[in-house]
Amino acid sequence: MRQAGKYSGFMMCGGIAGRTGPHSLPLARIKKIMKKSGEDVKMISGEAPIVFSKACELFIEELTRRSWATTLQGKRRTLHKDDVASAIVATDIFDFLVSMVSETASHSEDGTVPEEEETVGSS
Amino acid sequence: MSLVNPCAGLKLSEINMRLAEINHTKNSAAITNNGAAAATTDENECIVREQDRFMPIANVIRIMRKILPPHAKISDDAKETIQECVSEYISFITGEANERCQREQRKTITAEDVLWAMSKLGFDDYIEPLTLYLHRFREMEGDRGSMRAETLMKTSSRAMTAAEYHAAAAGSFAGFAPFHHHGFFGYLKDASISNGAAGTSLSQQANAVAAMANGDHQASHSQYDDNNK
Repeated sequence: MRQAGKYSGFMMCGGIAGRTGPHSLPLARIKKIMKKSGEDVKMISGEAPIVFSKACELFIEELTRRSWATTLQGKRRTLHKDDVASAIVATDIFDFLVSMVSETASHSEDGTVPEEEETVGSS
Repeated sequence: MSLVNPCAGLKLSEINMRLAEINHTKNSAAITNNGAAAATTDENECIVREQDRFMPIANVIRIMRKILPPHAKISDDAKETIQECVSEYISFITGEANERCQREQRKTITAEDVLWAMSKLGFDDYIEPLTLYLHRFREMEGDRGSMRAETLMKTSSRAMTAAEYHAAAAGSFAGFAPFHHHGFFGYLKDASISNGAAGTSLSQQANAVAAMANGDHQASHSQYDDNNK
């Protein structure tokens, strides 16, 4: 866990963390996800999660923007999972996400998607 | 794709909010003593294990709200879907970056590898803002834990004109070459001069940044010319 110390030491003890701005995503979590992406992920430089924290922010912003466009097309004010699915399908660079929303595609054909459907243990 | 969670009865959104609180209050403890923190209660244990896979939903929602108009509502399943997509995004990019490291027989995934992978996988639009962000972070690194870092950052946002940025980015990023110290050492110098009040000597800052870069980056970055100041 020495790698964690490199950035959690100065990033998390209140020194620099406050100065990178309030928008930072948790670096330790990012690093965990990076490590889980493959069996053979060995070492991660301290800066890589920093880049990801900003990149994920940009990613969420883009995905939200595109999803909301679909919401508006449907003249609605609530952004649904279907809207996210539409945005993913419509955007080339989001192709890697298609498998994650393919369940939604079959739901929307029913015409009804209950909002609180995603409870723990269901589907 | 469904989330299997042994904490029956709790909605994922509720778990997310609670975990955001837990993480907020015992952040560094959770990082370094993850096993101990997870073992305290069964409930905490299953929450930590499950949520390690995702960004905290509170953060995700906050970023979404920056984009959406104030009256917009977001369904819970949309929030969770985007939360899952973020993790998938990280894995996707990391996989590509890691492959490149392995091809080049390097052990450490660097910021440059991540940026390279993003560009390769079609996220070119992100490269410019990310490069800028990384530059600013590296400047702050050079003067850790002092008010001067903040001053420098404020100065930098004024001093870094479009021309300087493009020069730094072009010098640093041509053909996805690793960042050259020369690029932002030159930048630091300009910032110090214009700021005037920055007491730390330029060579101190430059050394600190170089030390950090050398410490973090491994053999792959021996190509950096440390005399290039």
